[in-house]
Amino acid sequence: MLAVLSVEARKLNRSLAVWLAVAAPALIAVFMFFNLLRGHAPRPWAVWMQASTGVWAFFMLPMSVTALTALVAHMEHGPRAWDHLRALPVARWKIYAAKALCVLGVVAAMSVLNLLLTWGAVRAAVAVKPVLAPTGAPDLAGQMALVGKVVAAATLLTAIQLWTALRYSSFVPALALGIGGTFFSVVATAAKPGVFFPWQMPVNMLSSEPWRVSTALCLGGGLGTLALVLAVAHLARREVL
Amino acid sequence: MSAAIQTHGLTRRFGRRLAVDAVSMTVPERAVYGFLGRNGAGKTTTLKMVLGLIRPSGGVARVCGVGVARDRIGAARQVGALLEAHGFYVNLTGRENLALTATLLGAPAGEIDRVLEVVEMRREAARRVSDYSLGMRQRLGLARAMLGAPPVLVLDEPTNGLDPDGIADMRRFLRSLPERTGATVLLSSHLLGEIEQTATHIGIVSQGRLVLEGELTRLKADLAPEIALRTSDNRRAALLLRDHHLAPTQVGEDLWARLRPGDDVDRAAAALNQALVQAGLSVFAIGARDPSLEDIYRRVAAPVPAPAQRRPEIA
Repeated sequence: MLAVLSVEARKLNRSLAVWLAVAAPALIAVFMFFNLLRGHAPRPWAVWMQASTGVWAFFMLPMSVTALTALVAHMEHGPRAWDHLRALPVARWKIYAAKALCVLGVVAAMSVLNLLLTWGAVRAAVAVKPVLAPTGAPDLAGQMALVGKVVAAATLLTAIQLWTALRYSSFVPALALGIGGTFFSVVATAAKPGVFFPWQMPVNMLSSEPWRVSTALCLGGGLGTLALVLAVAHLARREVL
Repeated sequence: MSAAIQTHGLTRRFGRRLAVDAVSMTVPERAVYGFLGRNGAGKTTTLKMVLGLIRPSGGVARVCGVGVARDRIGAARQVGALLEAHGFYVNLTGRENLALTATLLGAPAGEIDRVLEVVEMRREAARRVSDYSLGMRQRLGLARAMLGAPPVLVLDEPTNGLDPDGIADMRRFLRSLPERTGATVLLSSHLLGEIEQTATHIGIVSQGRLVLEGELTRLKADLAPEIALRTSDNRRAALLLRDHHLAPTQVGEDLWARLRPGDDVDRAAAALNQALVQAGLSVFAIGARDPSLEDIYRRVAAPVPAPAQRRPEIA
């Protein structure tokens, strides 16, 4: 399995997926940089870090997962690499499982990168306008734990997006699903049933209501893991014509 | 000679359409087996079943004695494949692409240099595949198929996209493979000339059925001999041939006369020449015609719908 996983990771080398993995968190960092410069009084570190994780979980993570899964799947669909891969003496479920683990790993890395770039953006803004230096110390451990929960809660939406992207050779179904899911997640932010909506599960990790956090985490993480297993099993069994 | 690939009653339906109809083929070890047929005849579907890429609706396929349906991974270990879609990652170099497959096969790192050497691509291996021509991708695909030195190579249209020199090189390369590496080659193509110059054995598939299979030299030898001739009046010559119970066919400016199996070509040509001259016709050229793969193909495959490709029979 490690060999298949290493192959999946090496395929990303110099790919658009790597650019996306850097560009998406960087956009939030740029936004945070200018947002901080607009301020007149210093605010605590926690506000900036929480705001960054909020934007990430609310919008950028679902959109990034949509784009990332589409790109990763298109690496095989584009050159019609499935026949070559599936003809090799390797269990097919391993190929799909490695792809899923690789995507989850990149999403986790992007989430951590978002935190680091936000920290850097705040530092850079303070260098320009020292009076706005955040108060207190950045609670990196607490923020990392929050990011971990956001990533875990995003497992279900990642499983759905990845399955769609791998199942259909066209970009369109996966992109339409991801854009649609994120759209409804944004326009219906306050909706109570949103906690059961895969695209809203990550942002529910920032909720002040504990039941929302635990429900979204259990569904997003637990059901997401099950969905990933089922997706891998289905993709491995189906014929690619 | 034992079989490297054997299928028995291999069948595949797509809905109501029967794509492959009970194909029973035998590819002998160390043969270069040309798998011929028009586009859509069922070649690729058959190859995909041999490679375990799609499941047969009926029948079995074995590679080196290993049942593909029963042990796909075991059968896949015996095969290297070059498929119509190369499936290269264009963001990576040729060497990096080979390294991915080598890792999945568990092949040693030295294998990459070996196969690059075989296809003479060591110098280009450090370039990204996005910069490769179609011919280079084809050669890289062949190198990838040979990783791990599998005893059987399945090559789908391997000369696609190659320039004339590349085609000639590929022919030489494929012909020499069994001797050099002991490998068996199953080569699919719709180009008769390619197969004729490369294959030792052929299988012809038409409308999903295997209509002919055998050793190419033997199949040619079994054909009724033919005489090619050109006269001052081919129409009258054709009538005369029919009087002699020979089936004439006009091909360009020539007439081809099919003899009966076992006829002595030299004697028949001499007798025919005499008859033509006695009938007042000038004979510009006459002689035995070597049977070609196209002759075999035309006799067993379903007729091509386009009338321009038909060889007109003269009444």
